[in-house]
Amino acid sequence: MSSVSVEPFVSALNESEYHLREMAREGKKIIGYFCTYTPVELIHAAGFLPVRVMGGVGEVNDAYSLAPNFICPPLLLSLEKALKGEYEYLSGIVQGYTCDVVCGMVNIWEENIGGEIYHTIPLPYNDNPASREFFRSCISELSHKMESIGGTITEDSLTESLDLYAGIRKIVLGLYDKLSAGLLPLSAADLFHVIRAGFVMSPEAYFDMLKLLQNEVENAEIPGRRGIPVLVSGSLVEDPRAFTILEEVGGRVVSDDLCTGFRNFYPPDGEGDDAVGRLIDRYMKRFPCPSRIRAKERAPLLIELVKHSGAKGVLFLFEKFCTPHLADYPILRQELIKENIPGIVVETEETGIMEGQLRTRLQGFIEMLES
Amino acid sequence: MEKTRKSKKRLKAAKELNRLVVDYYLECNEAKAVGRPVGWMPPMNGAIEIFYAMDLQPVFPENWSPVCAAFGLTPQNFEITDGLGYSRDLCGYLRNITGYVHGEMNDERIPLGGLPEPDILLSPGGGCIPVMKIFHILERRFPEAKVFYADLPQVAMEKIQRHHIDYAVSEMHRLIEFLTEVTGRELDYDRLKEVVKLSDQACALWDEIMSYRRFVPAPFSAAEIGIMFVMVTRQGTQEAVDFLTAVRDEVQEKAESGTGVIEEEKIRLFWDNIPLWYNMGLFNYFEKMGGVVVAETYSAAWSLRLDPQNPVEALAMKSLISYPLVSCVSVEKRKEMVLKACREYSIDGAILHRNKSCVPITLGQMDIKKALEVELGVPSVIIDADHMDDQNFSVAQFETRVDAFMEMLLEKKGHEW
Ligand code: SF4
Ligand code: SF4
Repeated sequence: MSSVSVEPFVSALNESEYHLREMAREGKKIIGYFCTYTPVELIHAAGFLPVRVMGGVGEVNDAYSLAPNFICPPLLLSLEKALKGEYEYLSGIVQGYTCDVVCGMVNIWEENIGGEIYHTIPLPYNDNPASREFFRSCISELSHKMESIGGTITEDSLTESLDLYAGIRKIVLGLYDKLSAGLLPLSAADLFHVIRAGFVMSPEAYFDMLKLLQNEVENAEIPGRRGIPVLVSGSLVEDPRAFTILEEVGGRVVSDDLCTGFRNFYPPDGEGDDAVGRLIDRYMKRFPCPSRIRAKERAPLLIELVKHSGAKGVLFLFEKFCTPHLADYPILRQELIKENIPGIVVETEETGIMEGQLRTRLQGFIEMLES
Repeated sequence: MEKTRKSKKRLKAAKELNRLVVDYYLECNEAKAVGRPVGWMPPMNGAIEIFYAMDLQPVFPENWSPVCAAFGLTPQNFEITDGLGYSRDLCGYLRNITGYVHGEMNDERIPLGGLPEPDILLSPGGGCIPVMKIFHILERRFPEAKVFYADLPQVAMEKIQRHHIDYAVSEMHRLIEFLTEVTGRELDYDRLKEVVKLSDQACALWDEIMSYRRFVPAPFSAAEIGIMFVMVTRQGTQEAVDFLTAVRDEVQEKAESGTGVIEEEKIRLFWDNIPLWYNMGLFNYFEKMGGVVVAETYSAAWSLRLDPQNPVEALAMKSLISYPLVSCVSVEKRKEMVLKACREYSIDGAILHRNKSCVPITLGQMDIKKALEVELGVPSVIIDADHMDDQNFSVAQFETRVDAFMEMLLEKKGHEW
């Protein structure tokens, strides 16, 4: 028996800025992205390091000189950090078009933060042979752009990157299986740190750390996690306090539908005749974000996730002003009601959540699920 | 000033425009009555010409929102939408149309007869998120309608490449096949060429009309911008060409004879972002201090040409070029367009509507503000408002900011105020 610690992941997160700066200084190109629809495998295969730009929790000041106050906090906070020089190590941003805010932000960064590569990929919405062919042309356009700043992408390098990221995703999905089964000796906040570290580390180092964690998890004594099972659905989460409070008032996160969670990992891989085909297949089939799909198609997937994980209710955790999520919510709610799955909505602001108020609301929600 | 107010129109064409609006909505409802298929679509794309060429009826829910705002129907639509659980932070077009279709759509109290229910929905993949979500909501509300799942590359205008065009063209062909299948009507390509030619003529006339606004004094102001109704709903028809020809003649005559909007035009203004549809009278507000809004960002949406010999590609290009104006256009391009307009129209000051309802157009506005100051020395003022929801608009704040701004501009130009 051994204990499981997420300490290495927490320190990797805390030290990431320092490491990334060092790497950039040594000549490694680091490319930022906002959303998980960015094909990180391609960036990695070019010899660059893809890093997810995150805003964390804090106060927005300078960013208001460039952006209005009615957009989601994570992107305002990211801009705030960038204006303070905290993303100096980035060579630019590559982003798959998800929402309008992200698209606008890429433009604002390009104007004000600078770097040698800025690119938005117009991902197709439909999945058919013509749209996949179009996707392929978009990938080749991006590849050329990356080659123009010193990257080299080959069939072999892309295959290796695809294998590496698939390996990472498989381990994390394994952790999710255990989470749903109540067999993961980690709190939701712990798992959050594990996942978050992956956004700012080299995938090779992250993979090694995950393998160690997986080992520890296999050998750990299972404390038999208690609590009313809840699934968390929403945009991205930058502040794990909501998870902690939920668990403190008697809930237990058993799965999620977040782009800082399950959505980023499922499915682990795609199929195709060549490496690009495999990449395209995965991005076409991935667990969808509401910016890319209809609520009517997403609702059954969410319901399946709820049932599969054994959740009794859904906590919708939205970033304030997040249009894709807010616009889909009423339809999702109707569909969940049909299945007798209760839900609650919480919107987060720049400074994170209002703890006291949230505690009371979540307590009420858990009591309702219990009865 | 009141919170909701109609604009004062001075062009003779304004009367004719009222008739066109009534006729158009009458035609939409008649189509339903006689069984001509009705299709709802997003604005500013090449499908409208295909509809007219196939004798199908295009309906634009987004254009219905300004109509609702003008008739004061918006608050009741918002109330219905709120009741369905939609956030008040969503785009006002989405909130308005959602409420409208879930209410008494064709009640006799609804002006212009309301909108006929759709037989077809062209549900976009592309454009901004709210416009896509509007159609997802419509799909659910009208389950009988045949849905075309459209796809359009979200690429900034200056970054369009061959593969984007090829995909947009293949989508156009897929649309034509879909329409043929669900309506049983064939598309006559010669007819399409004629329609595209009319559309091109309308665009050329539009450019010409706008160019007369370079005259000092300007022959008409943003208060008359309702003329864009024909560009939104009637592109590809003779009616649009006739109307725009009449507007051109009137505007030309005014420009050449030096007839301005007001007695003495002292300050020439530029408007960025969508107007406040419930308060078009705001454009007249500047007049008491000698200000005229002579140019605006969105009129550029129809500044393009279409090649009738290659109609399908021309329409694909139209979709690719005009829609990004409100979603994925780069700041670089928008800056270039605004600066160019400010130079060409001899602008003294710009009004930037920071529009709570439209994130895509609002993002990047601060960069435009900076560029105006640095590159042209044109000052600007930010107006916090919303194109649909008057709850997000404060008259007092507007007046304070605008009065101070106008005083500054007048002083700068050596005028008394
Ligand atoms: S999807 Fe929502 S949370 Fe994510 S970037 Fe867009 S607006 Fe922000
Ligand atoms: S472009 Fe702006 S106003 Fe139009 S639907 Fe999109 S968000 Fe709303």
